[in-house]
Amino acid sequence: MSQTEVVIDDKRFVAKEGSLLIDLLIKHNLKVPYFCYHEALGADGNCRMCMVEIEGQKRPQIACDTLIKEGMVVRTKGENIESVRRNILELELINHPVDCPICDQAGECKLQDFYMDYGLYDSHIDQADKVHHQKHIDLGSNVMLDQERCVLCARCTRFTADITKTHELGIIGRGDHARVSTMPGKKLDNPYAMNVVDLCPVGALTSKDFRFSQRVWFLTSTPSVCHGCAKGCNIFIDHNREKYKDETIYRFRPRENQAVNGYFICDEGRLSYKALQENRQVERDRNGAVCSEAEALKAYCKTLEGAKGEIIVLADPNLYREELVAIEAYAAHIGASLYAPLEHYRDEDFADDWLKSSQRAANAKAVEILEIKTTLPVEKAGLLISFNHPDAAQIKAEKVISFQTHIGKDAYDLTLPLAVFSESAGTLVNEEGIEQYCPRAIKRNEPIPTVIEWLTQIEGGDK
Amino acid sequence: MDNKVKVVPRYGSSFKDRLYLPAIYQGMKITFKHLVGNAADSNAVDTLEYPEEQPTDITDRYRGLHRLTHRQDDTIACVACFMCATACPADCIFIEATEREDGEDEKMPKRFAIDTLECVFCGYCVEACPCDAIRMDTGIFSLTGNSREDFVLEKDQLLAHKGAFGEEKSRARK
Repeated sequence: MSQTEVVIDDKRFVAKEGSLLIDLLIKHNLKVPYFCYHEALGADGNCRMCMVEIEGQKRPQIACDTLIKEGMVVRTKGENIESVRRNILELELINHPVDCPICDQAGECKLQDFYMDYGLYDSHIDQADKVHHQKHIDLGSNVMLDQERCVLCARCTRFTADITKTHELGIIGRGDHARVSTMPGKKLDNPYAMNVVDLCPVGALTSKDFRFSQRVWFLTSTPSVCHGCAKGCNIFIDHNREKYKDETIYRFRPRENQAVNGYFICDEGRLSYKALQENRQVERDRNGAVCSEAEALKAYCKTLEGAKGEIIVLADPNLYREELVAIEAYAAHIGASLYAPLEHYRDEDFADDWLKSSQRAANAKAVEILEIKTTLPVEKAGLLISFNHPDAAQIKAEKVISFQTHIGKDAYDLTLPLAVFSESAGTLVNEEGIEQYCPRAIKRNEPIPTVIEWLTQIEGGDK
Repeated sequence: MDNKVKVVPRYGSSFKDRLYLPAIYQGMKITFKHLVGNAADSNAVDTLEYPEEQPTDITDRYRGLHRLTHRQDDTIACVACFMCATACPADCIFIEATEREDGEDEKMPKRFAIDTLECVFCGYCVEACPCDAIRMDTGIFSLTGNSREDFVLEKDQLLAHKGAFGEEKSRARK
């Protein structure tokens, strides 16, 4: 398609002829309200919010279903178009229960945003005259439905129809009685179901997992990458430190990255935040007794000096590349052989043809690039130093030092706590070789050392 | 936005105001009136022998200790929307929300606590509440305790406080 020039609000823009006008508006941050349009779902044209004036056309047109033509002159502002939007918004809101105080979407709700931007009218309808539907319906797959809050944008039904192709959701009834529902007796059930919560522009679909746990304006979002598998889906970690409490992650949200995951993540990855704060190893543990940091370092030195036979270092292939490099240098320094066995992380049942990979180790590609051995060592070791590898207990060793993030069932000679990925920073290389940096999101009140911090301390203790 | 801006005239720039002397005279007049009156009759001194004597001039605008109001059916009016906690400049309101099972709304506080030692009694929580669920009209102006924890008022205590000026129930909830 050829490039053409269009004029929007007296400014010139170059766009592909025949592409959607709304894409151009979104790309250049030109404010246009919309509910039903979504880049992943395409134009549907049912919400009518994205009205713009186009010169030469009698009536306002919807930007999401207007193709760009040579010499188009578009206006997104002005009294006329704003009154059109206000009237459409009032129609959308006419039966809305306005229960923002108890709605989890409040704060990130498009209805609220658009009302403040374009609405600000006094309601013509009394609360008592509104049409009522069912509220708090458990749709399954951690999704709650409130039919009253719905604006019938059909994003959720289009997601289940066009993207997951599971067709669970549909709009039933007509006029005021139209509402989103599943088939009688059927549940929303697919491994990507919770994406409809993000897709829903209003509070009709909310997460049962996140329900009432936080108001969204208290949350801080830190960009990161999901560690559920080698796909490396981009996420936001939404976290908050409540007064007198420790920093807590409340949810993962997908972050757009067209090169990796598009707009979505799988439910398993979305809920994987829970494992980061449950059953964590926080104490240093020597032969089953809690010890101080100085004692632990002393015990480490003693164990390392007294090691007979080969020393094996195991590195978790979920660790960041920087951490793997540091472990590699450390292993060379103490004359140990380094392994990052991948066997444990093969999971064919998990895989699908979209966002789930059978390789469950997030940084398996980096292990490959760094040429670290990925087999399970078979020989008996004099000393095994494991950096959070789940297969540490399978290796025969006289002495074991285990740095681990979570409390395991196996007891070792020396067990030391280790930060999880959200408490550390580094680079992941996904299975397609795309490098992605994850900044540190969580700062615990009592920090647990990361791999690099441990290695720095150990090197200091060596001397 | 423009049509909502109200221009308020600025006072204090006239010659009389800038002299300051008339205002000082006004103030001193009251001071001396009390001085002479009190010196003449020490029984008429306008003080209160607290705590034997309790104040009687607390009005319904007085910001006393907080209370949580009830609905008409005597259940809690609060829906745990966190507006008060958001508005609170002292960050002293601690709420944990939970599911409400009795069919009224969906949400209610599992825990609602105010640390009155941190509270600055600004009344923003009352202003922010969309449900008329928190009020400061108890008329209670003193709170005593033996430990810091005693001053953290939990949901039950806040619900037990009575309104001192006749309005018992939340006016915003059925």
